[in-house]
Amino acid sequence: MIVIGIDTSTSQTSVAVGTENEILAKASVAGPARQESVTPLLQELLTRSDLTMSQIGGVAVGVGPGLFTGLRVGVETAKTLAQVSGVPIVAVTSLDALAHPMRHSPRLIAAVIDARRGEVFSAIYRAVPGGVVRERDYTVHPPDRLMAELQAMPGEVLAVGNGAMLYRHVLEEIGSRIEFASSIAAHPEASAMVELAVPRFLREEHDRLFDVVPLYLRKSDAEIAWDRRARGV
Amino acid sequence: MITLGIETSCDETAVAVVEDTFVVRANLIASQVHLHERFGGVVPEVAARAHVEALNPLLEETLGNAEIGFGEIDAVAVTTGPGLAGALLVGMAAAKALSLATGADLVGVNHLEGHYWANFLEHGPPEPPYVALIVSGGHTMLVHVPEMFRHVVLGQTLDDAAGEAFDKVARLIGLGFPGGPALDAMARQGDPHAIRFPRAMEDSGDFDFSMSGLKTAVLRHVKASRAAGQDLHLPDLAASFQEAIVDVQVTKTIAAAKDMGSPTILLGGGVVANTRLRERLAAAAEREGLRVLFPSMPLCTDNAAMIACLGSARWTRGERTSLDIAADPQLRLSV
Ligand SMILES: [Zn+2]
Repeated sequence: MIVIGIDTSTSQTSVAVGTENEILAKASVAGPARQESVTPLLQELLTRSDLTMSQIGGVAVGVGPGLFTGLRVGVETAKTLAQVSGVPIVAVTSLDALAHPMRHSPRLIAAVIDARRGEVFSAIYRAVPGGVVRERDYTVHPPDRLMAELQAMPGEVLAVGNGAMLYRHVLEEIGSRIEFASSIAAHPEASAMVELAVPRFLREEHDRLFDVVPLYLRKSDAEIAWDRRARGV
Repeated sequence: MITLGIETSCDETAVAVVEDTFVVRANLIASQVHLHERFGGVVPEVAARAHVEALNPLLEETLGNAEIGFGEIDAVAVTTGPGLAGALLVGMAAAKALSLATGADLVGVNHLEGHYWANFLEHGPPEPPYVALIVSGGHTMLVHVPEMFRHVVLGQTLDDAAGEAFDKVARLIGLGFPGGPALDAMARQGDPHAIRFPRAMEDSGDFDFSMSGLKTAVLRHVKASRAAGQDLHLPDLAASFQEAIVDVQVTKTIAAAKDMGSPTILLGGGVVANTRLRERLAAAAEREGLRVLFPSMPLCTDNAAMIACLGSARWTRGERTSLDIAADPQLRLSV
């Protein structure tokens, strides 16, 4: 089964094509966000691999958390590809995709994505045979809150993601038991989306296409202001 | 030849199918008005989120209504600007994916050009030249179209768009958001000559507009009446305010058509749904021996049929858009 993977939750635009056995092709463009290149990048990948959309059996997409505008481009692209091609879709969170390649570490894994405005999106995982399990819910909060959370958890920690890089100085306050993954692993990769999604496609654990939306974790500014007014603060 | 149109530049998610450029097979809109109502205006982030939820079910429904499959689409036309960046990107992402998955050609379209093309769906395209008045919540603009697809912007608003002025005054007198239709209805019960509001830039000799002076005058009138303990006659206020806007639009549009030697005037945009603007322009054009076209009410507001129609016409003359096109919130009309 051939699956397309897409992730646009950070300033990196990442696409991949793979099967249960291998990644057939992948491309990631880092730097200033240019999400409009998702579809042309995918087109190039298919052409180079001598594949057509008619051979694709599923679409895996990173639903964040991450930067809203970029996320929407990736999610809408994936939904429409799946809808038009009549194939199933699987939503993968971008934090799961960050933690997944770290699964051979015996440490606690903190996946951290920069949420701008002095906050981070994060989740904490522990490695188990064959993958990782999430120990804490997906959250958005200031990095010192994440640091305090990690401080309260025993054991060594591996922090991964562009948010971990950016707030390294804050997270380091928990002491020498924290280590940081390389910057080459700082963005969710579409190839990880493919690897995580293929077993779900094979088990037919698809998502309902019309229900796939970005995992925002944060309301719009207008709604935040409205709620604040409604509470009278 | 089948063209799919997608429009997500503001707060309406819209999908349409046209056949051979001018025949509408299906034209659907998922309105978000209720989501923005409590904020008193369109919130870009709320709009973009709603597009992601609404667009794919709407695609399915539209194709069902048009009785076609995705494989029958020859071209996919999509609004690439002007509009809200985050909102535009949702429709464009879908259009590009659809193009990749089906092999249909992508054609990027200017939203404002689409607004006056809405006329051609119902009346067919008359011979150019035209003068087009485009009035909506975001734009107030007079454009000369010497030949198809060529535009010379004659003038535009220096501050608020006409639709914005309608919304602000409607809010001031408690009509809620969006205020245009409610204000129009209330104005029909009032006397348009009851209060003399300024006709900003009516005699400026150019084709630019300004709404801020009028807005201030309305506000001053409301405050003065309240201070004097007088009851405001809201229908008179609404009618007089509306008349001041309409007067300037009619005067300038007719002058532009005469200056350009254009026998045809095209109206487009949400504010063209205003009944007073329609009747006054129709009457003025008749007096001057000019032809004026306006779209029916559903085609005045943002819709995808106009986008599909324009995209199909541009496709027919060989235009294709590359898959890596970016959204352009300030997109200009082609010259
Ligand atoms: Zn419009």
